[in-house]
Amino acid sequence: MDVAQALVMAMQTWGMIGALVAAVFLTIGIDRIDEDARGAYIFRPLLIPGVLLIWPIVLWRWWQIETERAPWANRYRPVRASYGLAIIAMSIGIVVIVITGLSVRQTWPADIAPVQLTEGAGQ
Amino acid sequence: MSDKPFFVGYLPAPGPLRTFLLTACVLLIAGLAGAGFLMGAAQDDPGPGAFRFDYGRQTVTGVVEMTPYPVIHVTEGNDRIKPGDSFMMTAGGKSGVDSRAMPLDGQLAQVSGIVLERGDLYMMQLRGGRNGLQAAEGDAPEITPEPQGRWKLAGEICDGKCLAGAMRPGRGLAHKACANLCLLGDVPPIFVSTQPVLGEEFLLVIGPDDTRLPREAYDHVAQFITAEGEITKHGDLLIWEIDVDTIEVTE
Repeated sequence: MDVAQALVMAMQTWGMIGALVAAVFLTIGIDRIDEDARGAYIFRPLLIPGVLLIWPIVLWRWWQIETERAPWANRYRPVRASYGLAIIAMSIGIVVIVITGLSVRQTWPADIAPVQLTEGAGQ
Repeated sequence: MSDKPFFVGYLPAPGPLRTFLLTACVLLIAGLAGAGFLMGAAQDDPGPGAFRFDYGRQTVTGVVEMTPYPVIHVTEGNDRIKPGDSFMMTAGGKSGVDSRAMPLDGQLAQVSGIVLERGDLYMMQLRGGRNGLQAAEGDAPEITPEPQGRWKLAGEICDGKCLAGAMRPGRGLAHKACANLCLLGDVPPIFVSTQPVLGEEFLLVIGPDDTRLPREAYDHVAQFITAEGEITKHGDLLIWEIDVDTIEVTE
């Protein structure tokens, strides 16, 4: 398996798990943790793309709220606390990616001249 | 009650926050502008290729040859395309004209469409259906390939349509996925040589024994490579039978 196939498979796996989480959360979970959502169904399909992408956070919050492990505000604090770190990491990552991309870029081999190895029958 | 300034959208910004916001805005705008300039300046020149709509629709007659990619050798030209010219053909979008050209292989045909031009390289995007390619009356002169020997070349495999001007840039790593999609759609592949070969910078690149470009070569599209292969002259077009086993990526 080459890099491209591995990336596609990783994306497909992530999406399939996300679809499974979306199916369970939007039919069962959301009713259990949000009383305002009970009896409301039209908006739920709109959440599917988001759940596909961030299903680990959906599961984590569902678990936090379901188990009432922490006061309401604290359930969100760990995620918010990592925002700053994520912003710094992404900022540095973008710069590193651009610099790495530019530094490993090939240069046009203008100095390599065509070489005739054998003569043609018509020459 | 905290004395920290608090921003409310519909009220004037507090003094200390105003300074911070102004500074952040200026730095953000200047930073993004600077980053945009640097990234733009780092890009290669996309070259002069373009659709030549200013030429208008071109209609010429010639002999169709499947090399295996369809080429036409002009027998009756016009004020822009001269008899003796040979050029490749493509359809609209990312597709070739193989299915239309195969029944006319070796026969005289009239082609009509818009020219894409990049220096010495040009190709024609044909009109749809028979308006773009149809059999013509008359005897077709025989096209005799002229072997030019085995050559080791350095350069880049591109799709002929984007390179000729359908995209800007039509080559380079940023264009790799587009180029491969075009090649999968039967657009003729072109090899851009670092230096002229027998007077030509652009060669139609095919597989061994007149086969299509091997799929193994697709991994090296848009990379700078060296490779070996036989060159044959068809009309005034050079065709390079690339030997994929000899492909080496340059530094």
